[in-house]
Amino acid sequence: MTGTDAAASDVRTDEELAVHLDGITKRFPGVVANDDVDLRVERGNVHALLGENGAGKTTLMNVLYGLYGPTEGRVIVDGQERSFDRPRDAIDAGVGMIHQHFMLVETMTVAENIALGNEPKKWGGLAVDRARIDREIRDLCDRYGFDVDPSATVAELSVGARQRVEILKTLYRGADVLIFDEPTAVLTPQEVEDLYGVFEALTERGKTIIFITHKLGEATHAADGVTVLRDGRAVASVEPTETTREELAELMVGREVLLEADSDPVKTGDPVLATADVTVEDDRGVKVVSGIDLEVRAGEVVGIAGVDGNGQSELIEAITGLRTPDGGTVRFDGEDVTDWSRRRRIEGGMAHVPEDRHEQGLVMPFDLVENAVLGSQRSARFARNGRIDWADVRDHAEDVIETYDVRPPTADADAESFSGGNQQKFVVGRELERDPELVVATHPTRGVDIGSTEFIHERLLDLRREGKAVLVVSSNLDEVQALSDRLAVIYEGEFVAVTDPDDVTEEELGLLMAGERPDEGTQPARAGGADANANAGGER
Amino acid sequence: MREDFERLLERLVHASVLERVAISVAALLTAILLGGVLVFVSGAFATCRAGLDLAGATFCYNPMQVYYELFLGALGHPLEGGWELHNYNLATTLRQTTLLIFAGLSVAVAFRAGLFNIGTQGQLVVGGLTTAVTVLFAASYLPGGFVGTVLLVPIGVLAGAVGGGFYGAIPGALKAYAGANEVITTIMLNFIAVGVTSTLLSWRFQDPASDNPQTRAIPEYAEIPNLPLVGFSPRMNFSLLALGFAIALIVGIAWLLARTAFGYELRTTGVQPAAAAYGGVDEKRMTVASMTLSGALGGIAGAFWVLMEHGRWLENVPDIGFDGIAVSILAGNNPLGVGAAAFLFGVLDSGASSINTATDVPPELVGILSGTIILFVAMPEFFRMIGRRYVDVEEPEPARSTGGEVDD
Repeated sequence: MTGTDAAASDVRTDEELAVHLDGITKRFPGVVANDDVDLRVERGNVHALLGENGAGKTTLMNVLYGLYGPTEGRVIVDGQERSFDRPRDAIDAGVGMIHQHFMLVETMTVAENIALGNEPKKWGGLAVDRARIDREIRDLCDRYGFDVDPSATVAELSVGARQRVEILKTLYRGADVLIFDEPTAVLTPQEVEDLYGVFEALTERGKTIIFITHKLGEATHAADGVTVLRDGRAVASVEPTETTREELAELMVGREVLLEADSDPVKTGDPVLATADVTVEDDRGVKVVSGIDLEVRAGEVVGIAGVDGNGQSELIEAITGLRTPDGGTVRFDGEDVTDWSRRRRIEGGMAHVPEDRHEQGLVMPFDLVENAVLGSQRSARFARNGRIDWADVRDHAEDVIETYDVRPPTADADAESFSGGNQQKFVVGRELERDPELVVATHPTRGVDIGSTEFIHERLLDLRREGKAVLVVSSNLDEVQALSDRLAVIYEGEFVAVTDPDDVTEEELGLLMAGERPDEGTQPARAGGADANANAGGER
Repeated sequence: MREDFERLLERLVHASVLERVAISVAALLTAILLGGVLVFVSGAFATCRAGLDLAGATFCYNPMQVYYELFLGALGHPLEGGWELHNYNLATTLRQTTLLIFAGLSVAVAFRAGLFNIGTQGQLVVGGLTTAVTVLFAASYLPGGFVGTVLLVPIGVLAGAVGGGFYGAIPGALKAYAGANEVITTIMLNFIAVGVTSTLLSWRFQDPASDNPQTRAIPEYAEIPNLPLVGFSPRMNFSLLALGFAIALIVGIAWLLARTAFGYELRTTGVQPAAAAYGGVDEKRMTVASMTLSGALGGIAGAFWVLMEHGRWLENVPDIGFDGIAVSILAGNNPLGVGAAAFLFGVLDSGASSINTATDVPPELVGILSGTIILFVAMPEFFRMIGRRYVDVEEPEPARSTGGEVDD
């Protein structure tokens, strides 16, 4: 069947459930990913699957989507027991999945992407019926209120629009049940709101939505029902109206959790990091960072908020020595380090949690022992005469694994075999335990479960209390707001505002990040950081 | 179909060491079986006086005999009467093994740094001439005899390493500072090496007493000495000392890669350059350094070719450097595997000449036989290399069942 005639609600079976997973157990060699999990999702509902990293959420959904067969248990879709050998079977049964990393061909148009693999044919199968594809997509867009141009090339689209293309693709294939894997991970706050609107439009038309998340706010805000997974088991199934965020957090982690990071004011010292008029140009000579002045003092956390791709990556690379700025200076501990190599900066006490743990922070085919020494391979702590003391490194790796709750707790497994959140914990642990003077952390808790997020935040604040300087870059507003003493918003390579995080609302920040000039409260700050700092009251 | 294939790949990628050895042995046996059938069937199309008459055709070649010569001939027929350990065939096998260890290590080191050094051959050519010229020059200032040996052999090896290292540094620097692809530059530099050495030879170093394009012979005491009592005879052009040095170098390179900061940085650069840069490695310098090391090992191969096999440099250099590429791939670019792979190549090489002497099987067919064996033995590792890219995409979310609770 094609996607356009997919209203299944008028033939209701006895079961009101769109999806019923009954006692699902999934074992991998050495691990039980799902242990007797029940999941009941009512038709036309939004259901959140909430849990920490490695709780088994994705595995469970992969069972429903036919990527894995369950070791035990039954998959019941629309009242019928099903056995999916491959995703194709699940799609045929009306189950579609929108992955975290979009599976779109960037050089092709929206319409081509949506129809890919399901093209309607004409002339006896000789040609693709493009007119029909366009017509069907426009029908879908009308029905669900999407504003997507089928003839646009995917490469031109924003992340939020790409996600809608993925949703359309799933609908086009006739899905009644849509599974979203961490759908908000890549979106701006505004785009997240839009997504919730899409959820509503879909459920109004009888579609059922299951989304995977480890963020409490999303589960309580957007879902009609929440199932909490912990250690591969379903520990609770609740309605968000009947519970509190604290209760949910406790269910997820298995103990009480402090949701707000506590950052009482600390007396700040001398500037540890100071950039003056730092400019970075990309390959085509376009300024991606234009004259940024930034100061981070000892005992202070400075946050940089911004939508990805507004120059924060390049600024951080210039600070940490991964890139030579095209103009301006970087001072570290009072010295001009603009020409220092990356190694010299590391040795000088600069720790860096990189934006991309897969490419930079970890060497994927190396085990955690080998990864524990990345950046310190020539430091006096681990190396003598160019020879690495591996026993010492192993002890260090095991310390980090234990302290930062990396799971499974084995130093001998390759980095690539760990889940994203656990990889992140290890990188953060390695960098924070370097005994740094300055920590430059990009998305320090990206993909990390709340229990560990809390711990990482505490460690960052500990460092601040010890009089270290911390620079945090994040697109997660809760995080930068909670941690920072001063908060800078970056847009198109410039700080549009430097402010006290307690003085702005999340909505205002979202607008600033989107390039809206502030009207009241916070004043615009041009390249000159001095007046920006003065205005924000951050300079004491 | 595709899923089955992926499942197979995944199985291969996660195979244990024992399984990998078993797979290699199975591959070798399969290749031998297939090659045997090939040889046997080919025999039907050859003409011979005596053969096996079967179904109206005459099968001229006996695969059993071919394999007997290939494997046991390479060792000098140990199962026949009058066998001595120090025979010429075994010397040929081990001489080839020794040279291929150096060449294989050269390629492997570059591979581990993420560089495809096809220029080992050129580095060998340049290193070999540097060795010959340096030894000829130094010999005129140094005493002969035992002292001469002790001084000249290390000088010769060092000279080869320096010459090859310099010649490897060129493509390294071109890549690091001009962005030139090392595959292209090393191939071109191979031709340049041949041209330059040949010009140098006719300009100054040609042996005046010979019409062959070659240098004068180095003094006999400057050649790699043979061990008394346990060593091979000098006329077999093979010394156990050379093999010992090659094995020591295998261990040394393995140690360098696994235990030192330099080796760690080299491997990191090879698998993930961005992570290396993040970890404070200067990628440009690392590129030059690893190509220099790779070139030096190629140069050492040239040095031993001069000091052990010929006692002089000849313009006609065999393709040891190119074979080194195959040795390294067969070994999965692992220094410890290079020893075994080089020995297999040594056996195939020396066994081939044994087949030529003992049977009517044409050398081309023997080449096919060797090729089949190499192909089969190399394929599992090759698929593992491919498979790693594939399988990683679909790693299951590792759940925790073994992990301790958070609240402890």
